Amino acid sequence: MVADTAQSSAARSSTASSDAAARRRRRETGTAYALLAPSLFGITTFLVLPILVVVWLSLNRWDLISPVQFAGLDNFRQVLSDGQFARSLLITAVFVVLVIPLQTGLGLFAATLLTRGLPGSSVLRVLYVLPWICAPLVLGVVWRWILSPTDGALNALIGRRIEWLADPALALPSVAAVTIWTQVGYVTLFFVAGLTSIPTHLLEAARIDGANAWQTFWRIKLPLLRPTTFFVLVTGVISSFQVFDSIYALTPQGGPQGVTDVVAGRIYYQAFQSRQIGQAAVMALLLFVLLVVITVVQQRWFSRRTTYDLST
Amino acid sequence: MSASLRRRVADLAAYLLLLVGAVVTVAPFLLSLMTALKSPQQFASQTPLSPPAPVTLSNFTELFGGRYDFVSPVVVTAQVVAVVLVGQLAFSVLAAYAFARLRFPGREVLFWVYLATLMVPAVVTIIPLYAMFTAAGLRNTFWALVLPQVFGSPYAIFLLREYFRGIPEDLVSAARLDGCNTLQVLWHVVVPVSRPILATLTIITVVSHWNNFLWPLVITSGPKWQTLTLATANLQSQYNGNWTLVMAATTVAIVPLLLLFLVFQRHVVRSITITGFK
Repeated sequence: MVADTAQSSAARSSTASSDAAARRRRRETGTAYALLAPSLFGITTFLVLPILVVVWLSLNRWDLISPVQFAGLDNFRQVLSDGQFARSLLITAVFVVLVIPLQTGLGLFAATLLTRGLPGSSVLRVLYVLPWICAPLVLGVVWRWILSPTDGALNALIGRRIEWLADPALALPSVAAVTIWTQVGYVTLFFVAGLTSIPTHLLEAARIDGANAWQTFWRIKLPLLRPTTFFVLVTGVISSFQVFDSIYALTPQGGPQGVTDVVAGRIYYQAFQSRQIGQAAVMALLLFVLLVVITVVQQRWFSRRTTYDLST
Repeated sequence: MSASLRRRVADLAAYLLLLVGAVVTVAPFLLSLMTALKSPQQFASQTPLSPPAPVTLSNFTELFGGRYDFVSPVVVTAQVVAVVLVGQLAFSVLAAYAFARLRFPGREVLFWVYLATLMVPAVVTIIPLYAMFTAAGLRNTFWALVLPQVFGSPYAIFLLREYFRGIPEDLVSAARLDGCNTLQVLWHVVVPVSRPILATLTIITVVSHWNNFLWPLVITSGPKWQTLTLATANLQSQYNGNWTLVMAATTVAIVPLLLLFLVFQRHVVRSITITGFK
């Protein structure tokens, strides 16, 4: 009897406390969703919904003015068959191949020079980042003047008249050079951070074992920098595949004979000049898929290789 | 050659290379400023490398006086940056706190969705967003410039969540015992201890929206809602060859950011390496 009452009161108090717990959980859930509401609205409307809309647009014909018309897979057929998109992809790939190795190599080289402990290194490091914080569009305009054939600064300096941006053979390398100039300080910053985080006892040990600077760099520093290199390469490749602003300023309309007609520019001109929204949507979708694939492949490739745990 | 001599020669070579790098980095900025301070007559008659003599502000007065009206682009850009900054910080803090400190069903899935949207490039959303804003009748309005960004960014939410998770539970529960509700806890406890990351996010947001180009290019038309980058691009294509005026415009677009950068230089450098900001 006594035990009985004790039990039932225990049961009662436990349901009471579980009720309270459930109420608390409900309140916490309510608070959480209230806090999330604005960003949830923003992300759903401006990042998730557009992906559905771009898929829908890719299946339709629209010229920005007349009503939208269902087109089935016509846009896909057109984009894949007319060769212009393939050409833009190729141009972008060449651009990436010109930019990424050079900017990564230069950045790594500058970082090794900056971590020698020379006085003034931190000031220089800051100086190198200056172009990175400026608008690529505005820097593109500045370089358009510097590279202009008759009244530009570069030709005045070297005393020759070279058509940096109008010569079909030079336009893409010139645009790539400007991009490297803009980004190399940013890359340097990451390598400086990576190099300074290498424990000194490892470098000390290498020195005692008789390794020279060259060997230390290749055998110790470079392998330990792998996470930094990974980050710099992945973000570099992804952003280079989307390059638009600087190229719009330097060589508008795809440049001479269309040699700088990169994918992002092609999408823009297809949509807002040729007014073929459906085809532009197809291109945007294909670019999206390509970027996701690149990210996954790079992730796989890097995670397959050894990384070093320095925590011990 | 002795080791110390070799070391010194190597140091000297390193210095020379670093100096070349510094000159190459800074020269375009100095050259454009020099050109902006020249009269068009001097620019036409002398080499572009000559320093301005005399120094003149006529390009700037022309830029901001009657004919070109660069006042409006500066004001529009500043307004867009201010509104986006306040919205992004506030709404990102709210969301990040929910993800970091509250337990609720759907938390993991939602956070995963937020992270996944980081993979969506701007070039891909620009066309559907254009269609959506046109359908809503919001093309070429102030709202069109701020709405896509103002509700918080998944990136800021991700960074803030990491930071909030490191705040000691004692601080939060002490405030709760004192009778603070969630918003009060956020305002009185979480925000004050998160100043470094909030400063970082402020710089990232200001820089990236001051520099934004593609979206304003697509969604605005005509001078009313022209941003600074857009106005610079238009000036360049309209007055191609009028380089003293165009370099005055690029100077106006660059200088505020350079000042911001020099003042918060240490902070910016750290933010870039912490966040990989773009």
